[in-house]
Amino acid sequence: MRLKPRPPTAAGTRRLARRHPAALLALFLCSTGGALAALALPAALGHTVDGLIDDGPVPWSGLLLCAVLTLAETGFDAGAAVLGTSTTARLTAHLRTRTTARVLAAEPRDALAVPTGDLTARLTARTADAAAAPVTAAGAVAGVLLPLGAVTGLFLIDPWTAAAFLLGAPLLVALLHTFTRRTADAGADYQRAQSVIAHRLTEALDGADTIRAARTGAREYRRILEPLGTLADHGRRTWTVYGRAAGQSALLLPLLMLLVLAVAGLRLHAGAIGVGDLVAASRYAALAVGIGALTGALGALARSRAAARTLDPLLTLDPLPHEGLGPLPGGPGHLELRDVGVVQDGQPLLTGVRLTVPGGTSLAVVGRSGSGKSVFASVAGRLLDPDTGTVLLDGVPLTAMDPALLRPEVAYAFARPALPGTTVEDTIAFGPWTADPEAVRAAARAARADGFIGLLPYGYATPLTDAPLSGGERQRLGLARAFAHPGRLLILDDALSGLDTVTEHHVRRALDERAGRCTRVIVAHRLSSAARADRVLWLEDGRVRATGPHEELWTDPEYRAVFRTEAAEVAETGALPPARTEVEAR
Amino acid sequence: MKAPRTARRDGALTRVTHDARPFLRARTGTVLRLAGWSLLEFVQTFLGGFGVARALDHGFLAGRPLTGLLWLAVAAVAVLPAQLATRGVFGRLADLVEPLRDGLVRRAVSRALSGALAHPAGTTARSLSQVTHQSEIARDGWAGLVLTLRSFVFTVAGAVAGLLALEPRLLLIVLPPLILGAALFLATLLPMAARQRDYLTADEAYAAHAGKAAADLRDLAAAGAADRTVADSRDLADDQVRAARSLARWSGVRVVALAVCGRFPPLLLLLGAPWLLRNGLTPGALVGALTYLTQALAPAVQALMTMLSTVGGRLLVVLDRFTDAPPPPAEDESGSQGPPPRDHALVAELRAVTFAYGPAAHPVLDRLSLSVAPGEHLVVVGPSGSGKSTLAAVLAGVEAPTGGTVLWRGRPVRGADATSVRVLLPQHAYVFTGSLRDNLRYLRPDASDRSIATMIDALGLDPLLSRLGSLDATLEPDRLSQGERQLVALGRAYLAAPPLTVLDEATSRLDPAAETRAERAFAALPGALVVVAHRLSSARRADRILVMDGPRTRCGTSAELLRTSALYRDLAGLWEPDEEPHRENGEPDQEPHKSGRGNGVISTPPPSLF
Repeated sequence: MRLKPRPPTAAGTRRLARRHPAALLALFLCSTGGALAALALPAALGHTVDGLIDDGPVPWSGLLLCAVLTLAETGFDAGAAVLGTSTTARLTAHLRTRTTARVLAAEPRDALAVPTGDLTARLTARTADAAAAPVTAAGAVAGVLLPLGAVTGLFLIDPWTAAAFLLGAPLLVALLHTFTRRTADAGADYQRAQSVIAHRLTEALDGADTIRAARTGAREYRRILEPLGTLADHGRRTWTVYGRAAGQSALLLPLLMLLVLAVAGLRLHAGAIGVGDLVAASRYAALAVGIGALTGALGALARSRAAARTLDPLLTLDPLPHEGLGPLPGGPGHLELRDVGVVQDGQPLLTGVRLTVPGGTSLAVVGRSGSGKSVFASVAGRLLDPDTGTVLLDGVPLTAMDPALLRPEVAYAFARPALPGTTVEDTIAFGPWTADPEAVRAAARAARADGFIGLLPYGYATPLTDAPLSGGERQRLGLARAFAHPGRLLILDDALSGLDTVTEHHVRRALDERAGRCTRVIVAHRLSSAARADRVLWLEDGRVRATGPHEELWTDPEYRAVFRTEAAEVAETGALPPARTEVEAR
Repeated sequence: MKAPRTARRDGALTRVTHDARPFLRARTGTVLRLAGWSLLEFVQTFLGGFGVARALDHGFLAGRPLTGLLWLAVAAVAVLPAQLATRGVFGRLADLVEPLRDGLVRRAVSRALSGALAHPAGTTARSLSQVTHQSEIARDGWAGLVLTLRSFVFTVAGAVAGLLALEPRLLLIVLPPLILGAALFLATLLPMAARQRDYLTADEAYAAHAGKAAADLRDLAAAGAADRTVADSRDLADDQVRAARSLARWSGVRVVALAVCGRFPPLLLLLGAPWLLRNGLTPGALVGALTYLTQALAPAVQALMTMLSTVGGRLLVVLDRFTDAPPPPAEDESGSQGPPPRDHALVAELRAVTFAYGPAAHPVLDRLSLSVAPGEHLVVVGPSGSGKSTLAAVLAGVEAPTGGTVLWRGRPVRGADATSVRVLLPQHAYVFTGSLRDNLRYLRPDASDRSIATMIDALGLDPLLSRLGSLDATLEPDRLSQGERQLVALGRAYLAAPPLTVLDEATSRLDPAAETRAERAFAALPGALVVVAHRLSSARRADRILVMDGPRTRCGTSAELLRTSALYRDLAGLWEPDEEPHRENGEPDQEPHKSGRGNGVISTPPPSLF
């Protein structure tokens, strides 16, 4: 992307390496020590073989040296294996926690700019890739040391053997190169066929209700698996490509080793080297062709660096700024917006919004799709910081308040709420504090959710994954969550849209009971919602068209027209997208 | 703690072996051919050491360099067919690997589909990962295992044969450490696989949490639950570190086993060399033996052990996930008794039907009785959660009631009769990537283009058709609005024209005019129509209305219900108050939306609802 060489990254190797310097130093020493022992061993072996063949006394010192080197290599390798695995695991855990904390502490708008699947992949696979870099780098030192040392060893034994090896070296490098390239190409078609199957399955699962009712399960099963034949064909092709590449190295590597042996044999005949040197030369040749391991390590490092680059934007997210203030003690929830403007991707979403909502009153926010209702709702409770202007709660700017102190005072409910937590009870209790069971039940009653919760297999203890919930039911669980965490400000972002009118009426009554204690901001499409609010904010194209009681506004035909088209309106798209569906990580 | 874990793992091994046996038995021929191509590796290994030994003894050390080169050339000739043999090996490998992947994908799809059909609300992310991700882990792992195992067997055989040919006594020195190391390794294999599984489980738990956090980002911020989520995430990450540490300790043991197997034999050979040389071992044979041990045996052992301990455990864990797949959805059996009698007085009847989601749950339907006459138009209304959808599902035979009887044309419901008696359209319309024609003919594969044209006209699908171009155009569900999807689904039901059509809020995403048109079109068909209403306007068009209200459930005409059902009076007053709620007695052919709605809104004063 950028042409600057090696931009330093927040998840980069060096920064990570500073986390566990002692472990990494020990790992580095282990892998270097192991490589040096492996390099010294052939020479010692050759020397000992010479001593053994020479009919002299048994070369005890040589044998001892071989034993020591073998044990050292084993010890170093075992140490490197233990240290490497555990250090990478610790770095991964650290990086994952750091990234998650950063993402969650930032302004949601920033983190939501990354699609869910992508964000999940970054939090899981990418963090693991990036965290592997220091250990891979420490291990790569051995990968460089071994082939270089082995070629040096060949040189020291006899330059001719080294020359024989270097003759074949270009072929070896070319081979490694084509292998990497070809295998990368071959996989693409295969993955395409695979994703067709996954796509058809996703569609069918989405339509499970229909398939069940139409009894077409067997037909769908055949239709989903229809591309399996193509998949197998592409799969076979990948193996053919692998086979061709593997066949070339199966031919080249043994021939190269035999070439080195032949030259060593001739030099032995000429009396230039001994039998032991020939043994050592053949070992060194074998170590030198192990250069393939190095390309693997380099590939892993490249992957780590790419992963670190995708994590960088997340790790440099600024936490929400604040001045450490808390909300005014005992404030009634007086909400004030001063000249608030929001711009996204060059488009103004809100412009010059000035408004005061007296503490304890209710405000309905109405307007056509795209008029900025959801953006207003986000700004009013600091899910979004305005680009211009200020939002104040009881006279204190929201941006000055510590989020930890602000959050308990503001409760949100959404049109399509996510349901964090494990059980129905847990998701209602989920929030700045965990609501107690009584509060959970009272909130569920107020949100008219207790009825369907009673119908669930285990009532409040039903795991969310086992609860067959409709959109309206999810909405009511979200409402119950907001009701279970009462603060001085309650914001409903179209959170009643999925309720039938009778249920909505009861929920509205529960909302009205909070008058005086809690300021309520209600984004609504329905006429009844606007009619019941103390005041109405009418937004048009991100600007305040009018504010006032519903009865006053109703005299304006254009205001009435806002409600006339409601049936045809699609869900409003605001700055904050609706809760997204979970995507399988990795 | 430890005992159940062992039991579970043993179970995994048993389950996987149980499923693997028939798979391998059916591929004995392939395995034999794979072995055939691998024979070359045996020859190559054998000559690799033997050739060096002879080249030294009879050639370079005997002052005959040409003979030495000749022996090395013999070894080189054995290498020449390597390319061909490798291709053969990979070809047979594909015969072993691709069918495994096919089977795994089939099982994953079967599990996902059967699972979704049994519990429509179940989670699906796991099955998708099985199709794309886990089947690939299994494919790569299985291929790697086959390749290394095969290479190991033939390389070790070649080396052992070579050592025997050079000097049988060499085996006395070489075999003990080899066996000791292998035993040590085998002893670590099972605990290591268990650690592997713990590690993968921890990884998946973390990934599931991360995926949910990423999806719930907005709500987590709004709930001020960042700290709790980060703490959960840290705990899960720390669990994984513990699992990784335990795995790391075992990998240290594995390195030692590897050394005993691969690195100790050459050392022992050197220690025994004075004795062997005194007993007639030639220098060339010593070098040849060293070549076998260092160049053939040690790498083969290393490759196999690494493969078994890293991929082996993972393969076992992943394959075990596929062992308990349910059978694929069964073919819809055709009625052996023939369709139910056509001339029965009632299309469908519920007799004291009760339905509850669990034994402890309150019943959603409580001793409900209802009859639907041929050609009748019944509308079901009621608040959310009053059991409207459940009623539709029970009436259509999709859910079996927990008590009472459902009859179709006087006969108890049987799956075999379903497609000939009724069509149920759920609220969420299913549209798949395929031609518009295939989508429309979903319930009636033999529908003619002419009947399709009639249907398009009746339901108002022409804007969609002209946007797509033709019936053969590929339909991409993502590019259709929810309303268009519902229209396609309605088109299917219209083409099927069954004796009983049940629309469960199947017109909810249409605008009121389109909804009216669709409901009229269905009402004009000869079959009975049951509509679970999304808007009260649907009820105005009905012959009869069922008000779902627990014990106060009532059925009757609108006028009757206004007298007998408090809920219906409520609904009539509240349901979309910006429409005119009391028009149901008006002219049925009048378009309430076009002619009345706009005026109604403007002439209504700000409603004071309660």
